Amino acid sequence: MNRLTDALAAKFASPVRSTRLTVVLGRWLGICFTVCFATGLFSHGLQNPPSWMLFPTRPVGIYQLTQGLHITSGIASIPLLLAKLWSVYPELLKWPPVRSVIHALERGSIALLVASSLVQVVTGLINTYKWYPWPFPFRETHYWLSWVVWGSLLLHIAAKLPLIAGHWRRARRPREAEVTTAAQVRTTAASAGPGGRQPPAVTGRWSRRGFLAAVGVTTGAVVLGTAGQSFAWLSPANFFAPRKMGTGPQGVPVNRTAADAKVGPLAQNPGWKLNISYRGQSRSYTLGELGALPQAEHELPIACVEGWSQTARWRGVRIRDLVQAMGAAPESDLLVTSLEPEGAYRFMSMPAVYTADEQTLVALELNGGVLELDHGYPARIIAPGRPGVLQTKWLQSLEIL
Amino acid sequence: MSTPVQQSTPAGPNPKTGTGLHVIRLVLGLVGAGIAAYGLLGLPSQLGVAQLVGLLFWLACAVLLHDGLLVPLTSLVGAALNRFTFGLGSSSAAVLRSALMTGAVLTLLTLTLVWAQSVARNTSVLEADYAAHLAWLWLALAIGAAAVIYLLERRTGRRFRRQKTRP
Repeated sequence: MNRLTDALAAKFASPVRSTRLTVVLGRWLGICFTVCFATGLFSHGLQNPPSWMLFPTRPVGIYQLTQGLHITSGIASIPLLLAKLWSVYPELLKWPPVRSVIHALERGSIALLVASSLVQVVTGLINTYKWYPWPFPFRETHYWLSWVVWGSLLLHIAAKLPLIAGHWRRARRPREAEVTTAAQVRTTAASAGPGGRQPPAVTGRWSRRGFLAAVGVTTGAVVLGTAGQSFAWLSPANFFAPRKMGTGPQGVPVNRTAADAKVGPLAQNPGWKLNISYRGQSRSYTLGELGALPQAEHELPIACVEGWSQTARWRGVRIRDLVQAMGAAPESDLLVTSLEPEGAYRFMSMPAVYTADEQTLVALELNGGVLELDHGYPARIIAPGRPGVLQTKWLQSLEIL
Repeated sequence: MSTPVQQSTPAGPNPKTGTGLHVIRLVLGLVGAGIAAYGLLGLPSQLGVAQLVGLLFWLACAVLLHDGLLVPLTSLVGAALNRFTFGLGSSSAAVLRSALMTGAVLTLLTLTLVWAQSVARNTSVLEADYAAHLAWLWLALAIGAAAVIYLLERRTGRRFRRQKTRP
């Protein structure tokens, strides 16, 4: 068996593989995973806020930025993850598979890291296509798996720390040969392999640097081809993202259509009124009455959890004006209800910081025209720095808490 | 060729492995294990049994497809490239393989996009003709790689090329 796995390992051997290569790729991937984890937690906190959650409203595009980074670093991590796993592939074929309890635990944690990372990036990508071909709920699974991925990543770094530290910098070959302890000879001979040194220039083969350059080019290409869905200045190169800026009705993409939400007849009812309630008192505004109130206009991005975003001109009534008209303080929490008969986002809680913000609107117009039905006609919420799913469309009522 | 199999566990005392490093490893390892455990325990709090089984199936399939199919396939392609070198230098080989790697990863991405397009069409999502974009990308990669390789090989010159031998 030992001979078989050695033979297999030899089959998969490549002078490009080395611990140094793995360390370099691991650094890039570790950065991507950490950015992804941090921005993901921020997004989760905005949607399921803990009591201590901070809600930044400036810059107004903060969620556009963090969620754009989340999706972009997630996409960048796909080629990096593939390259990283390729660089350690012979490890898989080692025999005996388990040498001790500690070794078994370490391999188990690596299996967990590899499996959860692969599932996390693949399902994350496919989720941005609004396609859910799996038997588990995406949001919850993605959230809990992110802890598994990042935790087992830290564990993995701890396990490999001496190797990482030993190969953090490029080996200075002459000196390394001079100062060697017996252990170091073992480590460098076994781990650096021929690839640790400058491989001889063989016709048609590439070097470690060539491989790293290729991984860099691939990652760059994948990012360049998709990041335009989140960052306007990259929009011209957006050929492979599921969303394109400037598309959709009124030049703004739509996630959930009126047809999806089964809201058409309710929203188009000429008798529609926005109901606002506070301490048992309530007041209703017709669309005409809302339009007659002082209007404000702001450039605000709509930024979705799926990573796409679009800055647009919104015009409508300041929500703080409506709240103050009820005799409530502008710094009030709100419960916003949509006309949607059902769905996870029929109810939306709005923390006081957004209610008080002068840029938070009950929007009636988008890019100079009356809101289209798919954008939330007759009235919708638009607030600075919030995830798109919380920019409630087809308003029914506001309850001041 | 010797096998460049990597050391999976750190080998004994190292000048850089002091007590400080040991403490850092221990703390990092415990924190990491705690965070991973938090995630693992969180999953059953929101997923039902059937959903957990489905997730396990996906986790297993991900590893099997990657380790059992993707890496062997790419290794085969790599072996083929090693065999048919066309006498190219190592820089040219890197350019050729960069183009192939970029094309391969974007093809994988596009296949998923097109698949999603066929089942999950929606207003203003997945609107582009991704297959056409992919065809253009391969064309651009082919032209770009050919141009760079031509320039590299011309610069290397004939004299140097005659010295090189095939592996």
